[in-house]
Amino acid sequence: MSNPNAIVHIQDAHKVYPLGHTEVVALRGINLTIERGEFAAIAGPSGSGKTTLLNLIGCVDVATRGEVIVCGQATQTLSDTVLTRLRLLKLGFIFQSFNLVSVLDVFQNVEFPLLLQGKLSKAERKVLVESIIEKVGLTGQRGQRPAQLSGGQRQRVAVARALVTRPELVLADEPTANLDSETGERIIDLMRDLNHAEGTTFIFSTHDPKIMERADRLVHIADGRIVESTR
Amino acid sequence: MTTLLIALRNLIQGGRRTVLLAFALVLVTFLLIMLDGISAGLEATMIRSATTLSSGHVNIGGFYKVTAGQASPVVTEIPKLRALVAEKVEGVDFVIDRARGWARVVSETHSIWGALSGIDIDEERGLKDVVELLEGDFDALRADGTVMLFTGQAKRINAKLGDTLTLSAPTMGGVNNTVDVRVVAIARDVGFLSAINIFMPKNTVRQLYQMRDDASGAVHIYLKDESRAAEVSEALRPELAALDFRLMDVDPRPFWMKFETAAGEDWTGQKLDLTTWREEVSFLLWILTGFATLRWLLMTVIFVVIVVGIMNTLYISIRERTREIGTLRAIGMTRWGVRRLFLAEAILLGIGAGGIGALLGVATSLLVNAARIHIPMEAMQAIMMTDVVHLEVRGPDVALSILIITVVTAIAALLPANLAARLRPAGAIHHIG
Repeated sequence: MSNPNAIVHIQDAHKVYPLGHTEVVALRGINLTIERGEFAAIAGPSGSGKTTLLNLIGCVDVATRGEVIVCGQATQTLSDTVLTRLRLLKLGFIFQSFNLVSVLDVFQNVEFPLLLQGKLSKAERKVLVESIIEKVGLTGQRGQRPAQLSGGQRQRVAVARALVTRPELVLADEPTANLDSETGERIIDLMRDLNHAEGTTFIFSTHDPKIMERADRLVHIADGRIVESTR
Repeated sequence: MTTLLIALRNLIQGGRRTVLLAFALVLVTFLLIMLDGISAGLEATMIRSATTLSSGHVNIGGFYKVTAGQASPVVTEIPKLRALVAEKVEGVDFVIDRARGWARVVSETHSIWGALSGIDIDEERGLKDVVELLEGDFDALRADGTVMLFTGQAKRINAKLGDTLTLSAPTMGGVNNTVDVRVVAIARDVGFLSAINIFMPKNTVRQLYQMRDDASGAVHIYLKDESRAAEVSEALRPELAALDFRLMDVDPRPFWMKFETAAGEDWTGQKLDLTTWREEVSFLLWILTGFATLRWLLMTVIFVVIVVGIMNTLYISIRERTREIGTLRAIGMTRWGVRRLFLAEAILLGIGAGGIGALLGVATSLLVNAARIHIPMEAMQAIMMTDVVHLEVRGPDVALSILIITVVTAIAALLPANLAARLRPAGAIHHIG
């Protein structure tokens, strides 16, 4: 990896899924470098490979061929345990469908990654979780369960959960797709503010032109290939 | 802690599915406690009756042979043996000795064969607890020439209180002898042991067999802790040998099954035989073994059904929660963490439902005991050695039942939990349930 400021470096990455007796090629030779502190959007139509690319960067999947380096580690050589640890310590995730744990309340959902890390005391966790909940504007809802929240509030919880561990990189797969445009913009504003304030790198996928406009960097993908990358 | 919280709340969220599964586990635990109660009750009643009617916890019995081919169930030097027990055996509750014999009991119209037990009624602490007198008085057995019959025996020879019976048996010298005895007590039957055992004063048996005053049938040692019987028996063996008593080889059968063996051996004089209550009532243990086998067969079938039910329920739960599992894996939960989550659900369910089932089982057992439910069939009464249903509830058994249910539930959850742990996070995150 030649660029010391790169948090993600992808070199000729291919991803092929078996489908019965045939194969589906999701990514065909992706080359991409994302630098620390970037607020980058990956855009493209449905089925273009956005989610697969995010999966590779998020270490929840590995490339069939090529090299994917995340936070300085070549993911295809790592075991499941090491990949899990990398996700826990270095990455944060925001999902299109929020993916909160339905039986935990707002505080517990946000606190959960810290519990998995097991580094902080109960009191330290409380301070950290309450501050991040305040940042996303959900102090009044801290004891509520996801089912009691609106879509926008749930996504704020997801943002807080993604950021509570102070990850180096946050991946958001179409974070506004299930929200109305106004709420979606607020979520992007929130992510943007946190990007500025904390210096956290954000990579998110979208096909909403309004959201794309907010990114520092726009990567267009089609048929599993990067067709354009603009800053 | 959060794993437990998620597991608990997922169970609650499971609603009707959790309730049905919990109900099944409650039922199985209840059944397990009840079957344990019946089994333990049967065992306790049998042990208590058998050790009172025909054995001590440890017995120093044996045979006396005047000639090589004839063996009598006689032990001489009883005072010396009792002194040895008093000196060397720890944890003794009480010691008795009983004369033993096998004689024909003849009434005016009928006769039966019976195993004679010559007792000193003042020494017999257990007999009065186990045997319920319907007519007569235990104290009357102090007088020589008296006898206590059980109801079934009295009926068979048409004997009533106050009747005179004749006992007839060959003496150790090989000559037939008779003694007249008066029926002074009639007791309620205590299972099939009461069909053969006939109690009378020790001297009456001595008189029938023309035995010396220091001779009897066996020394019966009752321990404070009956589970030490084998250990005490083992420890007594060298002590007896040290006092120049000759000992028969170890043979875990009741004494009355050894007559032929003893008679067939080439020796004369006295040989002692050490046995435990378990050996003396080994011919009864098939009942307990049979019941235990039946119980485990039944429980195995039920457990298989439960395991299949739990696995099925968890597979459905995993399918419904695939996205949650994917999310947890994505945010950093390890495969073991996911396994632990599902195992925690199963264990919580097992402990909760097992606990409720155990409580219900214990409460029902106590109610059944308090109600003193009569056993209607005489054959069952004979086998169970009691005429009322008795369920023995033991704390360790109850705890073991809850543990078994919890372990079975956890084992049933292993495969589904493993499946959940091996889900690919990339696919699971986007799963549409």
